[in-house]
Amino acid sequence: MIKSFKAELLKLRRRRVAVVATFGALAFAVIASTAVFLSATQAGEPRGRDATIESLSQAGGATEAFALGVSFTGLVVLVLFIANVAGELSQGTIRTLLMRQPRRLALLAGKMAALLTFVAGVLALAEVLTVAASAAIAPSQDVAMTSWFGLDGLGEAASDYATALLGATLWALLGMAIAVFVRSIPVALGIGIVWAGPFEHIIQDSWTSADRWFPGLLLESLAAGGTDEVAFGRALALVAVYVAVAVSAAAIVFARRDVTG
Amino acid sequence: MNNAITLRGLTKRYGARAAVESLTIDVPTGVVAGFVGPNGAGKTTTMAMLLGLVKPSGGSGHVLGEPLDDPESYLGRVGALVEGPAFYPALTGAQNLAVLATTAGHDHSQIPGLLELVGLAARGDDRFRSYSFGMKQRLGIAAALLGNPSLLILDEPINGLDPAGVHEMRGLIGRLASGSRTVLVSSHVLAELEQVSDWLIVIDDGRLVFQGPASELLDRSGANLAVAPEHPGDLERLRGLLRAAGHESQAVDDHLEIAVDGDDPRGLAAALNRTAGEGGIVLAELRVTGASLEDRYLTIVKNGGDR
Repeated sequence: MIKSFKAELLKLRRRRVAVVATFGALAFAVIASTAVFLSATQAGEPRGRDATIESLSQAGGATEAFALGVSFTGLVVLVLFIANVAGELSQGTIRTLLMRQPRRLALLAGKMAALLTFVAGVLALAEVLTVAASAAIAPSQDVAMTSWFGLDGLGEAASDYATALLGATLWALLGMAIAVFVRSIPVALGIGIVWAGPFEHIIQDSWTSADRWFPGLLLESLAAGGTDEVAFGRALALVAVYVAVAVSAAAIVFARRDVTG
Repeated sequence: MNNAITLRGLTKRYGARAAVESLTIDVPTGVVAGFVGPNGAGKTTTMAMLLGLVKPSGGSGHVLGEPLDDPESYLGRVGALVEGPAFYPALTGAQNLAVLATTAGHDHSQIPGLLELVGLAARGDDRFRSYSFGMKQRLGIAAALLGNPSLLILDEPINGLDPAGVHEMRGLIGRLASGSRTVLVSSHVLAELEQVSDWLIVIDDGRLVFQGPASELLDRSGANLAVAPEHPGDLERLRGLLRAAGHESQAVDDHLEIAVDGDDPRGLAAALNRTAGEGGIVLAELRVTGASLEDRYLTIVKNGGDR
C-alpha cells in the first residue's frame, strides 16, 4: 500500500498539477468569498443558508465562505475520482500496475490514500486562500474581523476543514465504487452525475423525506453541518453505512474480477 | 532441465466457451520461447493467467518455481508487456517508468539505462502521448525490464510495427535473452519469431498443437534440398551420381530436389556436395526449400497438431 501511495503521489507532484490545483483553489476562494460576502443579509434576516453580516463578524466568519462554498464541490470530487479510477481501469494502466503489485486491494487503497491526501492539501490551500479573500472583502461590507483570528476562530476553521474533508472523502469513495463497478469513464460519469444531480433532487420535489434517505442529499446535509430536516449525526451515520456497503462491494469486485482489455 | 514455466491442464472458460483448454506446456529456463497461434488462439489469456490478471478455471502450474495461484510470490521476478503498452499519456516516458518502479519497490537509478537500452534516451522526457507506436512498444519493453526480471513475458511486441521496427524489435528481443533470462514472446505470425526463438509453443483454439525446440519443428518440416550443377547439361549425370549414393531426387526445371526426410539438412547438404565433387560436378546452387517454420506452423495448425 505504501508503494502504490508513493507511486500515485509521483503523478500528483508534477508542476502542472500543482498549478491547476492552485488556480482552482484561488478561483474557489475568490468566487466563494465574493458570493457569500456580497449576498450577506443584515443581522436577523438570514435567507436559507446565506450568511448574515452578524454571522460573518463572529469567530467562524473567516471560514464561512469556505464552508458554504465547499458544500457545492461534492459533485466535482465525485467526477474527479470517477474519471481517475475509471480511467485507470478502461485505459489499461491498472493492468500495468497490477503486473508490478499483484495485491489488488493494497494497490487500490494506496492510490485512494494518495488522492485523498492531495484533496486534503487542496482543501487546506482553498481554506487559507478563502480566509485571505474574505479578509480583503470584509471591510467593504462592514464585517468586523476582530473575532476571526482568536482561538475560537481557529477552532471554527478546523471544524469547517474537517467537515469539508469528511464530505470530500465520502464523495470520493462513492466515486471510486461507481468507477470500479462500471469501468467506463463516460458511463460512470453519467451515472454519478445524473444520480447525484437531477435524479435525487427530482425525487426530493415529490417526496419530502428524500433528503433523510438518499445519499447525495444526505451528503449535502453533511457538508452544511446538518440541516433542520436532517441532523449532522444522522447524515453522517447513514452516509457512512452507504459508503461502507459500496466500498466493500467494490473491493470484492476489484479483487476478484479478471483484468482484461 | 529446470523450467521457468510449467503448466498442467490450464483451462480458462468464459461461460461455455473455452479460451484455453487443458494447456500443458513447459518452457525451459534460459530460452527464448516463441508462443505462436492464430488470433484468438488463447495466447494473451494464457499470458494473463501467468501474470495473475486472469484467474484460471482449472489446471495448475508453476512460474519460476512458485505456484501459479500465488502470483505475488513470483511477479517480482517477472517483467511483462501484455495487451499493448498502457501508460499515463500526460507523463513522460521516464516518469511512467518511475511510477512503475515505485509501485514495485525498485530503484529509480536503472531508468536512464533502460531508456538507453530501448533507444528512448533522447525522448525520455517527452510525454507518452507524443510517442509513435513503435516508441510506445519500446517503452513497454523498458517497463518490463524494471528490476532485471528472470522471466520476460511479451505479448505481440512486434504487432503493428513497420518493417524497420520489426527488425529493431527482433534485435532487441535477441539482446534481452542473454544470460539465464527466459523470454516468452507471442505472435500470431511465426515468421516474426523464427529468427529469435529457440523453443516454440504453438497453440490453436486454446489447445497445444506443438511444443519443443524450434529446430525440431524445422526438422519435421518436409523440407527439400535444391541442388543445381554449374552446367545445366550435367543435371542427369548428377542425378545418377546421387542415386548411386542412395539419394533419390526429382528434377524440377534446372535443378534437382531431394527430400530431407528427417535428416539433418546441413549434413545432407554436405553429403550431396561431396558426391557431386567426387563426380567432377561443381554445384552452383545448394539450398533448403519449402522449409520455413511458417510452412510447418500452417500445416500443423491446419491439421490440428501433431503433439
